[in-house]
Amino acid sequence: MLIITAVLLGIVYWLGEANLPFVGLWTLQRPLVCGLITGMILGHPVTGAVVGGTINLVYLGFISAGGSMPTDMALAGVLGTAYAITGHLDAETALAIAVPIGILGTIVWYLRMTIDSVFVHMGDRWVAEGKFNRLYLSNVILPQIFSAIICIIPCALAAKFGAEYIQSFITLMAGKPLQIFQVIGGLMPALGIAITLQYIFKGEARIFLFLGFMIATVSGMTLIEQGIIGLIAAVVYTQVTGKIGTPAAALAGGGSAAIAGNPNYDPDEE
Amino acid sequence: MAKKNVEDKKRLIPHKALFRAAMIWETWVQTCYNYERMMGMACGHTFLPVVKYLYPDNKEKQIDVMTREMEFFNVHPEFGSCILGLAISLEEDKAMGADIPNEFITNIKTSLMGPLAGIGDTIWQGVLIPILLALCIDITRSGNGNVWGAVIYAVAMLLITYIFSVSNFMFGYRSGGDAIMDFLEKGTLSKLLNGASIMGCMVMGGLIVNYVKVKCGIVISSSGSDFNLQKSLFDAILPNILPLGATLGIYGLMQKKWTSIKIILLIVVVGIIGGYLNILVA
Repeated sequence: MLIITAVLLGIVYWLGEANLPFVGLWTLQRPLVCGLITGMILGHPVTGAVVGGTINLVYLGFISAGGSMPTDMALAGVLGTAYAITGHLDAETALAIAVPIGILGTIVWYLRMTIDSVFVHMGDRWVAEGKFNRLYLSNVILPQIFSAIICIIPCALAAKFGAEYIQSFITLMAGKPLQIFQVIGGLMPALGIAITLQYIFKGEARIFLFLGFMIATVSGMTLIEQGIIGLIAAVVYTQVTGKIGTPAAALAGGGSAAIAGNPNYDPDEE
Repeated sequence: MAKKNVEDKKRLIPHKALFRAAMIWETWVQTCYNYERMMGMACGHTFLPVVKYLYPDNKEKQIDVMTREMEFFNVHPEFGSCILGLAISLEEDKAMGADIPNEFITNIKTSLMGPLAGIGDTIWQGVLIPILLALCIDITRSGNGNVWGAVIYAVAMLLITYIFSVSNFMFGYRSGGDAIMDFLEKGTLSKLLNGASIMGCMVMGGLIVNYVKVKCGIVISSSGSDFNLQKSLFDAILPNILPLGATLGIYGLMQKKWTSIKIILLIVVVGIIGGYLNILVA
């Protein structure tokens, strides 16, 4: 891998991780999207999107709340996809390799959350002096230069040297170990779904999980078609329960309504 | 707070400056995210385009406003943007002579950020993003693979983010704190959430079938004939029962407060043992 390619991958990771506008946070941070960009840089956009999308299955419902970051999905997406393309891995194996990378990546996030406090004090001083325009410097430019340094360097190094070794590593692992990787990669999406279920598998909505499961098992419908049926089911259900006009309809939200109404909600709780 | 006459009153802040403030909030909200103040400085930054209209000739008062708004603040960026709109309208009322104590503005901000963060994180990251991602990943992996799922997800998410955040900001500015509390307490929200949960559960059910891959590799040989547990038992009774079981099992562990890191370790251990002994195959 060329050095410039590795640096470009580092930049993708930085843009995804640093919560920058237009890119980071809800878009480029997701492996589906950063996998596509990684694939474009390496000349295989479709493979990139497919591998990134597979890695993303693990991170479907991951919630970063109150400044916590359970795992660094942008790093997992960029490096996992890059290794898959350079090492000709299948998507499941790439996923099994990407997940531990994501756990390692949280170091970058916690480092950044800690050091960024320094820039707040600069901002305080400038505001006290009435130099409000300098907030662009303390809120955007300086912390982002710092983020760029701690994101681009490690990611570029890992992309360059990792890609060189991944091929020989896979050859070494041929046979049984690689099968184990695929078993792990096949199981991991269950975690992403289970995390999402924490938020939606509630009250009267529960039965629809099994309906969706049965429809998919029996019919071979695409997920989009199933989503549309789900949407219709949701509308019909709300209309039917709404007509009865009992408070039960309002309570149907179950646990979610409890969160909504609870002023003691603590965003630090994971 | 008498907010009814808002439209009749002459306002200090032109609409353009207000829009710029909303864009600054959504765009730079987490560029300097940190443990000490979280989004505090982003909150101050949001006031940058409007503060000069509040006290045009009084730099001291401008500094007061900015210092007050730099305090600790943390919320879900899109759902919480109405708090910023509300804070600006309160500062505006104050600048126009209303008797609003400084603590009132700080208190209303801190009392709203908890509930809005709770709702926002749940709806945004727990419902909206997973459903949209699941559908778009499926598009990307359909056929021989394509890039459209990723493109559709990115474009849709950007549009939703900015449109929702800016309109929510304006809602907070125009309607005031009572309207926000009303919205939080009304049944509409839980109804919406319940509907979204139904659709989400349907999609997740399909996702289990399509993307969780676990099969039993046990083959029992007796008197010359092989009995393949997966083919002869599971596939015959209910295919995909193992992926469903695995998912619900992990869900159960999470309900018992297992962290995701612990579950990842468990999956690795189960994968190594099961894969090595051929109990599980991909």
